[in-house]
Amino acid sequence: MAKEYLGELEELILLLILMLKEEAYGLAIRKALREHAGRTVTIGAVHGTVNRLESKGFVESNLGGATDERGGRRKRIFTLTAEGKSLLHKSQDVKVNLWRQIPELSLSNTQ
Amino acid sequence: MKSSRKRPLEERILEWCCRGDFLEEILGDLYEYREELEEYPAWQRPWRFWFQAFNFIRPSLAKKLINIQKLNLLGMILHNFTITFRGFRRHKSSFLINLIGLSTGFAASILIALWVLDECTVDKFNANDDRLYRVMAHFQLPEQKVTWDYTSGRMARSMKEEFPEIDKATRINNHFFVPAGVLETPQGNLEIEGIFADPNLFDVLDYELITGDPATALTDLKSIVITQGLAEKLHGSVEGAMGKDFHWSSSLFDETFRVTGVVESPPSNASMQFETIINYQILVNRDKWADEWNGGYAETFLLLKEGVDPMAFEGKIVNYYDDKINNDRFTLFLQKFSDQYLYGDFEDGQLIGGRIENVRLFLLIAIFILVIASINFINLTTAQASIKLKEIGIKKSLGGSRQQLIGQFLQESITLSFVSICMAVLLVYGVLPIFNLLTGKILVLDLLSIGGYLFLMGLVLGLLAGIYPAFYLSSFSAIKIIRGQLSLGGQWIRKILVIIQFAISLVFIVEVLVIHQQLDFMEQKPLGYNRQNVLTFKGRGAREVDLQAFKNELSAIPGVSSVSSMMGAFLWGNDSGSGYIWNNEPENANYLFKSPKMGYGVLETLEIELAAGRLFDPERNDDRTKVIINESALKMMNIENPIGYKLGYGQGEEKREIIGVVKDFQYGSMHQEIEPVLIRFRENGRNFILRLEPGTEISTIDKIESLYSQFYPKYVFNGRFLDDSYSALYDTEQRIGGLSGYFALLAILISCLGLLGLATFTTARRVKEIGIRKVMGCETWRIIYLLTSDFTKMVLIAILIGIPLSYLAGNKWLENFAYAIDLEWWLFVLAGITALLIAWFTVGIYTVKAATANPVEALKDE
Repeated sequence: MAKEYLGELEELILLLILMLKEEAYGLAIRKALREHAGRTVTIGAVHGTVNRLESKGFVESNLGGATDERGGRRKRIFTLTAEGKSLLHKSQDVKVNLWRQIPELSLSNTQ
Repeated sequence: MKSSRKRPLEERILEWCCRGDFLEEILGDLYEYREELEEYPAWQRPWRFWFQAFNFIRPSLAKKLINIQKLNLLGMILHNFTITFRGFRRHKSSFLINLIGLSTGFAASILIALWVLDECTVDKFNANDDRLYRVMAHFQLPEQKVTWDYTSGRMARSMKEEFPEIDKATRINNHFFVPAGVLETPQGNLEIEGIFADPNLFDVLDYELITGDPATALTDLKSIVITQGLAEKLHGSVEGAMGKDFHWSSSLFDETFRVTGVVESPPSNASMQFETIINYQILVNRDKWADEWNGGYAETFLLLKEGVDPMAFEGKIVNYYDDKINNDRFTLFLQKFSDQYLYGDFEDGQLIGGRIENVRLFLLIAIFILVIASINFINLTTAQASIKLKEIGIKKSLGGSRQQLIGQFLQESITLSFVSICMAVLLVYGVLPIFNLLTGKILVLDLLSIGGYLFLMGLVLGLLAGIYPAFYLSSFSAIKIIRGQLSLGGQWIRKILVIIQFAISLVFIVEVLVIHQQLDFMEQKPLGYNRQNVLTFKGRGAREVDLQAFKNELSAIPGVSSVSSMMGAFLWGNDSGSGYIWNNEPENANYLFKSPKMGYGVLETLEIELAAGRLFDPERNDDRTKVIINESALKMMNIENPIGYKLGYGQGEEKREIIGVVKDFQYGSMHQEIEPVLIRFRENGRNFILRLEPGTEISTIDKIESLYSQFYPKYVFNGRFLDDSYSALYDTEQRIGGLSGYFALLAILISCLGLLGLATFTTARRVKEIGIRKVMGCETWRIIYLLTSDFTKMVLIAILIGIPLSYLAGNKWLENFAYAIDLEWWLFVLAGITALLIAWFTVGIYTVKAATANPVEALKDE
C-alpha cells in the first residue's frame, strides 16, 4: 500500500465518513460534501469513489437497516479501516510538514 | 416476471448495467434523492433525476467485463473460433466453395466499387462545384430537338454583363475548334492538344497555376500556359519551362508562344484534358464567328453567386438567344458542370441519362454478385444442418442457450466473411493492373481510406448470410435431435434461393448476349459507305506542301486504287456550317448542317451511293459554290427539284448550288441518328482517304509511308484503316461489354459453385439410398435422373422467372442506342439452354460418380 496516494475527493470522502460515523452512506456523504466542502458531485460519483476506496481496502462497509424513505432498501454504511485511517494521517502529516517548511513571511507576501 | 414491468425504467436500466452487489444501495440512494429534488423547480426535476441516474453508469459500478460470467463469454468466443476453424478444416470442400465464392464475389464488388467511385467523382474537383454551371442549348429541328453543350462565344461575356446572379463567366472552345498541332521543341516535334480559353479561366475552374500569375497568364496572345506534365516532359522541371518560347503550329495558327504559367495537369478524373491553354482571342482572330452570336464555337461556364437558385436563374435565360440571333428555335438551360459526365445524353430535349446508366448497371451487377455469393453460404450452411445436428444437440442438452448457438453460427459466418475479405483484397491487388487496362482508368486500392467500408461490408454480409442458418440451426429441439426424431425442413427456402441464384445468372447470360449482339450489330451495321480497305491519314504541319503533287504521287503507287482528301476527320464528323437559306425563309440560315468539306473523289472512294444528280467532278471544275446533300437533308429542306436548286447564302455571297443527292450514310458520331448532311467542296483537304487494293496492303502502306516522309519530313506517318478507327469509336461500349461479360461469367461461376456444393451434399446424403436402389437392380440412368430432376426443376423455374426480367433489363440497356437490335426469342432460348446445361454439367459430375459407384462401398457398414 506504500504506493497508494489519495485524490482530493477521496481524501474529503474519507474524512466525511469519519465525521458522519453511523450515517456514512452514499447520499449522506454527497450532502455533507456539499455542506462542508462546497462540492457538488453526482451520487454516482460518490458511489464510484467509495467503492474504489473499498476495493483498495481503505474503507469497509456493511448494510444498515431498511427505511421507508428509501423504498424499503437498505443503506450501505461505510467505516474506515485501520489502513484508511493511517493513510489519512500520513496525508495530513505530509501537508502539515509542507506548511511548516514554508516561511511565514513569503506566505503573507503572496496573500 | 410480470412485476418487473411495473418497475420504473431507471431501475431496470440500472439493474441491467450495474453490478448486483451495489444495486440495492444505489437504488435506495436514488429513491431518497427524490426528496432533495423538491428544492428545484418542477421542470428541472426529471432532468436532474435522470442525470443522477445515468451517472451511476460508470466503470467502477458497472458490470465488469472480467467477472466470472463475462469470462465465459470471452471463452465462448474463443471456443467458437476454435470450432469455426476446425469446421473449416473438416469440411474442406464446402469451406473452399464458400471461400472462393465469397472472396471472388467481394473482389469483384470492390473492383466495381472502385470503378463506380471513380466515375462518380469525375469533374467534381472544383471547390465551387455547387455553383458551377454550363450553359447548354436545345435546338428545335422540324421533328425533334437536338441538344448541344456549346453556345456562342459571346454568351459568357454578355450574360455576365446582364445578370447580377452571375459571379463569374468564362468560355473555352468547343470540340470543333481544338488547338491541336505540332510543338517544335529542342528534343524534336511533339503533337499536343490544348484549349482556347478566356484569361479568367483560372477564376472559374480550379486549375491551379504552379507558377505564373493567374490574373495575367493568358492576357497576351503570345502567352501559353502549359501543364506540369508537359513542362516536365520538355524541360524536366516546372521552373525550367517558365519563360521559354515554343513554336506551335496547327491548322488554326502558326505562332511562337512564351510560357507564362505552368498549371497542374488536369486530374485523371476530369473530363476536360489538355496540355496547353492559349487565349480564346487567337481563335477569334482566325475566325470571326468564334465571337459572334451566330457561331456555336464556345462552351460557356457560369459561376453563380452564392444563394442563387439555379432553377430560377435558368428560367431567366431560357429565351436569351431569341433576340440575339432573331429566332426562337434555341432554348437555353443550365447543367451543373460536374453532372455532364454522368448525365450527358439528351433525346428530343429531355435528359435520358448517359454514363450513369453504366454506373447503375455495374452497381446492380455488384449487388447481384454479392447476393449470389451469400446465397451459396446460406444454402451450404443450412444443408450442413444434419452434420451440425449432434453438436447442436449436445450443446443444447448441456445448457447452451439458443442465443449462444445463434452467436456461434453468426460468429462463424462473420469469420468466414472476414477471411474472404482478406482474400478478396489480395485478389484485387493482383487483378487491379488488368482491370485498369480493361477500364482504361488508373484505379488504386487505398486500404486506409476504404478499410472501414470493407470492415462494415464484411460484418453486414457475414450477418446477412449467417442470420437465417443461425436461427434455423438453433431452433432444433435437443430432445428430438437426440432421439433422432428430427426431420430437416427448410428445403424449400434452399430451393427458392437456388432459383433466385439461377434467375439472376440467367439475366446475366441474356445481358451478355444482348451486349455482344449489339456490339456486333454496330460493327456490322450498313453505314452507307464501304469502310473496308480504306486507309486514312493526315497531312500535318506546314501548309506549303503541294497537296496536288502529293496526291498525284500517291495515285501512282501500285495497289492504291483511289486517292482523295477532305477537311476534317470523316469519322468524327466535327465539321458543320450554317447560313444556307432555302424556300425563301431567312431563318433557315441558322440551321447548322453537318457539313464536311470534301475534295474530288471522296464520295467515290468511300463508295457512297448517289441518289440523284452527280458528284464533284474535276472535268467540270467544281468550286466552293457547289454542294451535295444527303437524303435526310433533302427531306428536311423539303425542296421539290433539288438538282440545280440554288440555296441562298449570306449577303453578297454567291448562292450555293445543289448538284447531287447521296443516299444517307453515317457521318460523325456513332450514337446519333443520321442527320441532314450538306457536303461542301474544297479541292484540297489534308485528311487523305485512300482505297487500297486488297492483298498487298503491307507493301503498299510501306510505299505510302516513305512518300509521306518526303512530303512531311517532320512527322511520323499515322495511317489507320477506317474500319479500325470505326471500331475504336466503340471503345466505351466494348469496354463495358467486356467488363460486364467478365462479371457475369463470375456471377455464373459463383452460382455454379453453390450448386456444385449443394449437389455434392445431397448426393452424399443419399449414398445409402442409391446403394440400395442399385442392389435392387435400378439402372444407372434412373439414378442420375433421380438425382438431377430436382435441380432441373429448380433451374426451369429460374428460367421462367429470369426471362421477363432479362427482357426488361435488356430493353433498358438498348434504349441508349439510336440504332439497336431487337430482342429476339432465340436469345432467351439460348440463355435458358446455357443455364440448364451449366447446371446439369455442374451437378452431373458428382451425380455420375455417385450413381456408378459400387453399392458395396455405400452399404458395407450396415
